[in-house]
Amino acid sequence: MLNHPTPTDGYETYTSRLQKETEELIKKHRPPHDTAQIELQKKLHFEFLLRNLRQGFPERYTSQDASQPWLIYWTLHGFSILGVGLDDQTKKRTIDTLLAMQHPEGGFAGGPGQTAHLLPTYAAVCSFAVVGRPGDGGGWDAIDRKKMYDFFMSLKRRDGSFLVSHHGEVDVRGIYCLLAVATLLNLLTPELLAGVPEFLATCQTYEGGFCNASFPGWAFEADDPETESGSPKTYDPSAPRPPLGEAHGGYTFCAAASWVLLQPYIKLYYSSAGGSLTPVPSINTRALLRWCVQMQGLPIELGGFKGRTNKLVDGCYSWWVGGCVVLAETLLGVTATHEAVPHEHHEESDEDGQKSWDDADDSLFNRKALQEYILCAGQHPAGGLRDKPPKPADAYHTLYCTAGLSAAQHRVIPSEAREKAVISAWNSSQAHAKAGTAYAPSSDADREMLDELRKGIFTHAMSWSEEDGTAVYVGGAANRVNATHPLFNLTVTHSDGMMSYFYGQTPPSRYANKPATK
Amino acid sequence: MSELLADDPEWADVVPIRQYENVNPIAPIFYSEEYKDATDYFRGVLKTGEMSPRVLQLTERIIRMNPAHYTAWQHRYKTVIALKIPLEEELELMNDIATTFLKTYQVWHHRRLLLTALNSIDAAARELEFLKTVLRADAKNYHTWSFRQWILAHFNDEERLWAGERAYIEDLLEQDVRNNSAWHHRFFVVFSSGIRLGDEDRDQMLRRELSFVKEKIALAPNNPSAWNYLRGALEHTNTPFSTLTTFVELYTTSQPPSRGRDEDVVDLDNPPPSAGAQLPAVAALEFLADIYEKEGGDASAKAVEIWKSLANEKDVIRKKYWEYRIRDALSKA
Repeated sequence: MLNHPTPTDGYETYTSRLQKETEELIKKHRPPHDTAQIELQKKLHFEFLLRNLRQGFPERYTSQDASQPWLIYWTLHGFSILGVGLDDQTKKRTIDTLLAMQHPEGGFAGGPGQTAHLLPTYAAVCSFAVVGRPGDGGGWDAIDRKKMYDFFMSLKRRDGSFLVSHHGEVDVRGIYCLLAVATLLNLLTPELLAGVPEFLATCQTYEGGFCNASFPGWAFEADDPETESGSPKTYDPSAPRPPLGEAHGGYTFCAAASWVLLQPYIKLYYSSAGGSLTPVPSINTRALLRWCVQMQGLPIELGGFKGRTNKLVDGCYSWWVGGCVVLAETLLGVTATHEAVPHEHHEESDEDGQKSWDDADDSLFNRKALQEYILCAGQHPAGGLRDKPPKPADAYHTLYCTAGLSAAQHRVIPSEAREKAVISAWNSSQAHAKAGTAYAPSSDADREMLDELRKGIFTHAMSWSEEDGTAVYVGGAANRVNATHPLFNLTVTHSDGMMSYFYGQTPPSRYANKPATK
Repeated sequence: MSELLADDPEWADVVPIRQYENVNPIAPIFYSEEYKDATDYFRGVLKTGEMSPRVLQLTERIIRMNPAHYTAWQHRYKTVIALKIPLEEELELMNDIATTFLKTYQVWHHRRLLLTALNSIDAAARELEFLKTVLRADAKNYHTWSFRQWILAHFNDEERLWAGERAYIEDLLEQDVRNNSAWHHRFFVVFSSGIRLGDEDRDQMLRRELSFVKEKIALAPNNPSAWNYLRGALEHTNTPFSTLTTFVELYTTSQPPSRGRDEDVVDLDNPPPSAGAQLPAVAALEFLADIYEKEGGDASAKAVEIWKSLANEKDVIRKKYWEYRIRDALSKA
């Protein structure tokens, strides 16, 4: 039963042949009956990442020359998930390297002397979250936030979208990168966010996932500095805004995470209390959930995730889609524990153990199977992780397979209790003082709303936590990796640290004893 | 014979700029000599803002070694415009790069910028033909499809551009009925981008689309692309799923398709499964459960039964999801 191939209905096509070949390859890596034997080769993967960091990347990584901050982020965050710290000297060198990629006009580039771009900006800022700190030589204070904000605003289009760079494309990955960075660095304003929810909503396809961008993202007005020639078409806000490209794992994660990050903005700026008559933008969250779970492959493919319908499983989608399910659950409001009571976790080989595992598990995707895919098919025997066997390992897949493993092991969800605790310590004037933009609200009412926005965003982001007893480890606790924040893909230590500094807050510790009841 | 610009007297007036000055970078990349040389000189011309024929050569050189070098593409575009290079020529020059590096964003975005500047339906029509050759090599190339859709929406010419698309998609689905990119493209052409010439009668259009997708489901019922298209078409037009109950029930049976069909009865609206179909199809079961759930009342129990069979037998990998569907339906009962 569990190893039935994908049915082909006696009608083969290129897709079904490729799928069959892949199933033949992957099923060879079926987990042993005694899953306690499955081992995450932490040392090997750490050494794989370390080699790149110390010795440098081989020539074939020239293709990543415009993504240098990504090479750093994949490596450093990979270390963080694997539970490895860095020495001060390496941190210093990393900070200096990253700062060399900061563009004089704001934002970070793919390398020194390249133009600024939203994607490496995210990778650089996240890397700073891992290795940096406030103060001299710590890197954080050397990030020019005001110029970065101006850079963001210069990329903003009329339809609510953003180009990823000057003369670059519109892409939801860019929007996610911008929102994540603006959230971490306290750069969010209503002028930055105007039109963004509407744009994102147009990127959802009939399948429920999200695509790359929607039309008319590139329609320019004649005086738009992004066009240097001729007579472009005029932007028509009433024209249909169809999604360009099919539903895809990477874009779906970016859109879903962006949507969660935008919730405080949507709640504040679209409510009728705010006097706004603009229709509240919405996405189809049930369809999003359906699409995400449909992307999990069959048992014969070890339950890895695909990126698109009728395409192949790939380890990196362990994060992009596996890690997206909890976002869909959050948007649907179904993250709370349902009637099954969590049991003590037993080794999973006996039937009772299996039952208690299932009862304790609230996730809507198969966490155990995803872990098996990553551990049995995703690990390269020489170190590092990969798309699928027999492909070689690379830095990108190493990070996203590891992050996906983390997402399958740990259930990190918004916690009301944690949010309340953070709110109780909220200092509005500090957050205002630390804001990274020159944006000035035009009235007291606007200023109040912006304060509320900052509070809402900060406290929501800080509220994501792992509930005790909800972790599950295929192969046992020795395979445990650290939890990662579902919105940022940073450890909560790193995201908490960065946000606390840039919002001027001192939230209560996550690990303090429970407060005495009043 | 050195190919390096450092040894080329034509470039003697340019000051090359090293990538890292006064920084011992972490995680360096081991570039080839040629790449290092080319990018050192590129940083040099970026600093002076030079836009000249030799800059065109240099950016092409870099792009061929690293097609993802977006700054090189950006500067190339500005140079092409500044030098008033005929844009059709630039497009053609880039054809080889497009087919060699078809998985790279920048390659396609450059073409989009050129087509925008050209602002010509002729160029758009030629581009659509060119894209067909690319799709022949990689029928699901994401950027190519996304770009094709942009061209159609941006130039929006019914006769010269939109008109051929449905036939093209049908060809592709003949070749591979499981090509989800083609199905998505059909949805884009028929439903998402305004009303096509000839499709003004929306009822007729929907009948045609439903007939089309049902035929394809009959051919290979375990094809999620077709079912997603069907669901999408119904949702988009606010057509209840229940209107397809008779059709779907042909696919939820466990009986293999009967060989000898009654020749006198041909139900055009409900094409039955092909001889090789493996039934029941999971997507059909899901569809039927959705119908029952919508119906509510006593039908909810039937939905729950189906979800249970999916969770425990037919689609076990998604057990957690099917159990959620049960809880969700019961909580609303």
